[in-house]
Amino acid sequence: MKHFFSVRLLLTVFLVLSLGFAGYSMYYKIKYWGFSLSPKQSANVWDIEAHVSFTADGSPVKVSLGIPTKNKGFKILEENVTADGYQTSKYADRIVFTAKNKTGEQNLYYKIIIFDNTWGKDKLKDKSPTAPKPPELDEQKLAQAHQILKLAGQMPGNDTVEQLINLFNQEPLAPALKSYLPVQYAPKTKIEIMQELLAVAGISARTARGLKLEEGQKITPDLMLEAYIGNAWHLYDPATAKQGLPDNFLLFQRGGKSLLDVEGGINSEVKFSLQKSITSTMNLASRRANLAEKSGWFDHTIYSLPLAQQNTLKWLSVFPIGILLVVLMRNIVGVQTMGTFTPMLIAMSLVKTGFVTGLTCFVAIILLGLMIRFIMSKLNLLLVPRISAVVIFVILIIHFLTFVGYNFDIKIAQASVFFPIIITAWVIERASITWEEDGPVNAGKELFNSLLVGIIVYFVIANDYIRHFMFVFNEFNLVILFVVMLLGTYTGYRLTELKRFAPLVKKGL
Amino acid sequence: MFGWFKKFTSPTLLRAKGVLGMNARNFHVISKYNARRLYPLVDDKVQTKALALQYGVNTPNMIGVIEHQYQVKDILKMVQDHHEFVVKPAHGSGGKGVLVIKDYTDDCFTLPSGKTMSYKELYQHISNILSGLYSLGGRYDEALVEEVVHFSDVFKDYSYHGVPDVRIIVYKGYPIMAMTRLSTAESGGRANLHQGAVGVGLDIKTGKTKKAVQHNLPLTIHPDTHADLRKIQVPLWREHLLIAAKAYEMTGLGYFGADIVLDAQKGPMMLELNARPGLAIQIANGLGLKKAIKRVDKRYPSGLTPEQRIDFILG
Repeated sequence: MKHFFSVRLLLTVFLVLSLGFAGYSMYYKIKYWGFSLSPKQSANVWDIEAHVSFTADGSPVKVSLGIPTKNKGFKILEENVTADGYQTSKYADRIVFTAKNKTGEQNLYYKIIIFDNTWGKDKLKDKSPTAPKPPELDEQKLAQAHQILKLAGQMPGNDTVEQLINLFNQEPLAPALKSYLPVQYAPKTKIEIMQELLAVAGISARTARGLKLEEGQKITPDLMLEAYIGNAWHLYDPATAKQGLPDNFLLFQRGGKSLLDVEGGINSEVKFSLQKSITSTMNLASRRANLAEKSGWFDHTIYSLPLAQQNTLKWLSVFPIGILLVVLMRNIVGVQTMGTFTPMLIAMSLVKTGFVTGLTCFVAIILLGLMIRFIMSKLNLLLVPRISAVVIFVILIIHFLTFVGYNFDIKIAQASVFFPIIITAWVIERASITWEEDGPVNAGKELFNSLLVGIIVYFVIANDYIRHFMFVFNEFNLVILFVVMLLGTYTGYRLTELKRFAPLVKKGL
Repeated sequence: MFGWFKKFTSPTLLRAKGVLGMNARNFHVISKYNARRLYPLVDDKVQTKALALQYGVNTPNMIGVIEHQYQVKDILKMVQDHHEFVVKPAHGSGGKGVLVIKDYTDDCFTLPSGKTMSYKELYQHISNILSGLYSLGGRYDEALVEEVVHFSDVFKDYSYHGVPDVRIIVYKGYPIMAMTRLSTAESGGRANLHQGAVGVGLDIKTGKTKKAVQHNLPLTIHPDTHADLRKIQVPLWREHLLIAAKAYEMTGLGYFGADIVLDAQKGPMMLELNARPGLAIQIANGLGLKKAIKRVDKRYPSGLTPEQRIDFILG
């Protein structure tokens, strides 16, 4: 008894130590490496490439491109310039390329890697503007402007800006507005006219440019309207009148400045291409660690490994928690399953196949397999060849299901490929033996239990948050290790035993 | 919902009753008193039999062992002096793969049920045993051929088809709990309680019925033979206990279950030992094993011979 308690004590000490260690590294990783609890926040890494092209005319060239200012919505991780024969100089919100004597087609590239820092969203700060200069309009125009503002006042919207945008987007346009606008105009002009009208109403406004973060090539930046209301700049989408920074939107440039100025060239154009980077969170973290000058450890962690290895480890990192669940189900709840880790393997397959598809498919394979196994039991084959035959049958069933799935476009059937063949065959063999020895009810019960535990484990290991957590804060696997070991000293009753042994304590028996 | 909940009892009540749970059995008893290296002694019936012979414990006589597939047909030579015999897997458990042959002629074998079996079918059965069909974990196995037990008539009225045996739990050499399992029509002639066999708890001092249960519910008459279960009295009870107690010295296991059958002429015989006996015996007895274990730990002397231990229990 003494020995038993000392083991438990020792394990408890280890558990507490590992908890402390995991807790501290969690704090450290969040603070210095920028790891987050949620899988999403730091995962969005974007490669944005601005491609400036123009035809140089032989005179000295000066290209000035607006670039994203530092803001809290996004963090710039890396900047890259590809411009052969150009000198570059960078300012706060512009990058300038200069060169002498260039002729012909010119291509300049400005590339940045940013990540989405959602925490800092909507907290755009900027200098407060001076009161807007009343635009210089003739009397007739001014009267029209006032009329339009009056019309806008009747439109839905939370403030004047939203109302005005809604008025602009109304179909058909109000006659007063139609006559105010030029016959044909660019989107930029539309925003400029809005600014003009807002200035009449006494509201400072300006144009902002940004990129919607969607993967694509040759993207032109979106124009946004920014207005200063209530001591802060607010961003409005001129297409929807919605206020606020849209999700996944990189604000590139603010204020009315131009995006691209080219001297010494014609037909200038800037196109953006965006790519959601599969660069992992961890890649990001290493840069952050460098920034924070806390990279000492970093190079010695799994996060400095190549992505492929990291993905494998990520997949592995979530298993301990699944194993913990299996232990709980078996030793604390007392569920009888087929083999210790069959539920674990079922759960792993379900992750690969998707839940409903995987489950349907698994049940189909098992049922077909059982049918074949019963036919085979009449043949009285020896054990090893028989199990091998079941394995081959499972492979054939998978062939069949995949074929059916492809031809009839049933995704469910195609998922069958992902089931571990040997395990499936073994489950079939085991189920059919239990069936023969203990009857179909017991075989069904065992199958059901294994599947049930498998499903529970699936929901845990398929959860993005849990997977992310267990990989990013992988020290918690150490905690799980000691919890599992401590469970090894649990000698109390299992939940199912409370039912099994209930007759022993019933009165009158 | 609440009806379902009522089926559960509280751990406190179970503890008060001294019920041994699976976790406690594995942790406090089996892993503590049953060294792993001793398991083969009981898992392999050939070894158990050899040990029993050495310690003077009565078991059915061994006729021979078939170890390899090419020896399968040697069975005929082996049994030429016997008109009846039993074939069983050396590593089997719970009666799986046991085949009793009552008689045989030049072209077939006769089973106790009167059915016949061709030579080919018998070879097939032995072959299955060797390939591990009935062994724990499907390992390659050996087939044990031994003499048939002629069961005493005492249990005749109490069992439907199958063979009733007495299971005695031995802790530190002291028999602490006993039961007999009677097969029923529902259990299909098998002696497994969870399949519907009747479990009869036996008083450890007298070998008389203490309580009978089927599916965890008490009953007084056998559902098929209608015999009064309250009147069971296992004859030669002291001999039964002695066999069980001797198995302690034989194997060195601190906790095991001994399955004993009663032969009409030769008396009680040890059939097999189990290093991880089930816990259902508690339900059949209406008693907790933990209580019995504690009693042995506290009050029973150690260092006694099997006979002295039995005297201690009975006295």
